Amino acid sequence: MMQLRDAFEYMVSRWTDQLVVTSAGHSSGTWWDLTHDRDRVFYLTASMSLSSMFASGIAVGNPGVNVWAMSGDGAFVMNPGMLFVERRMNLPNLTHFLISNRCYGSTEEVDISFSDHADYAALARAAGIERSYDFQELDDFRDRFDEAVLAQGHSFVVLNVDRVGKDVRTATMDGPEVKFRFGRHVEDITGQQIFNVLP
Amino acid sequence: MAPARRDISNRIADELSECGIGLVASLPDDWVADLIKVVEADDRFIHVPVNREESAVGLCSGTFFSKTYSAAVMGASGMLTCIYAITKISYTYEIPMFFLVSMRGAIGDTAKYQVSNGIYFLDVLDTIDLPYKIIESSDQLLEIPRVHRHSRVYSRPSAIILSREVLQGEA
Repeated sequence: MMQLRDAFEYMVSRWTDQLVVTSAGHSSGTWWDLTHDRDRVFYLTASMSLSSMFASGIAVGNPGVNVWAMSGDGAFVMNPGMLFVERRMNLPNLTHFLISNRCYGSTEEVDISFSDHADYAALARAAGIERSYDFQELDDFRDRFDEAVLAQGHSFVVLNVDRVGKDVRTATMDGPEVKFRFGRHVEDITGQQIFNVLP
Repeated sequence: MAPARRDISNRIADELSECGIGLVASLPDDWVADLIKVVEADDRFIHVPVNREESAVGLCSGTFFSKTYSAAVMGASGMLTCIYAITKISYTYEIPMFFLVSMRGAIGDTAKYQVSNGIYFLDVLDTIDLPYKIIESSDQLLEIPRVHRHSRVYSRPSAIILSREVLQGEA
């Protein structure tokens, strides 16, 4: 089993120009704690399962930009049907990371009671997502990172991690600041105008 | 397919295209089912059928960070399931999105199971200050671009609410 921080440290070391959408709980807090990035990351807190759909919207509108979406398993079990939509869209620039710690990380790590019997990667394959990966160990994740994450094509990557065991605070920004900083960055890298433009 | 109903679906699709909308997320209600079929067959749009209406909120909110304008098509009962997603994503981050919704449960709806949603639907939208226009005549379809544009000005969602008579090509 990996430590979330170790897995994220490795991801950060390989992070180049991808846009990142975090989910509630420890993914948001840990990514913020490691990077303090306010521009390339959309800290989507407490969306109750919508981070990969949100990221899909970014990815479909910006086909030249790779997007990393993070979900916790608490969010995922609320809405596993998201996998069907992801498969239908089959976005070549979207990687969906499922951070599986078998608890609700943002709510005092209360157990997810279904997790002992759930195989999330198998669920994704059953939904038709062929590039579905399940990593238990950090070395394996590192070894296959290029194949699972950097290779072009939609993929679904389960990271099995231990519980963090402590509160990890996310970015100290209000919602509109997250929107504007992230949006300005998208404007910079794509050359398109997002704000102050009306249809 | 009754010609009048298909004509309305085509006109709505034309209005969406006129807005510059290039992506439509949908989950069917039987009143908007024909519109969804038209959108699916129309290569002016990327059509994304979603698993539940909240997914449309996530998806369409994400498209804000691009040049792709989007719309979410669903029934009134489906939109009621989106309230948390709207307040959490659209309101917290002040991200616009645009809904096209059938006015289920209103007078004229013969489905008793829709009535309990219809009783409160508009009151719920009013409560969360979500601006909308009710379209009860096909000549009001020209409101679609204005309401869409308002979501961008308001930096939150707006909605077009379509009556049964309009969607059936009867008004």
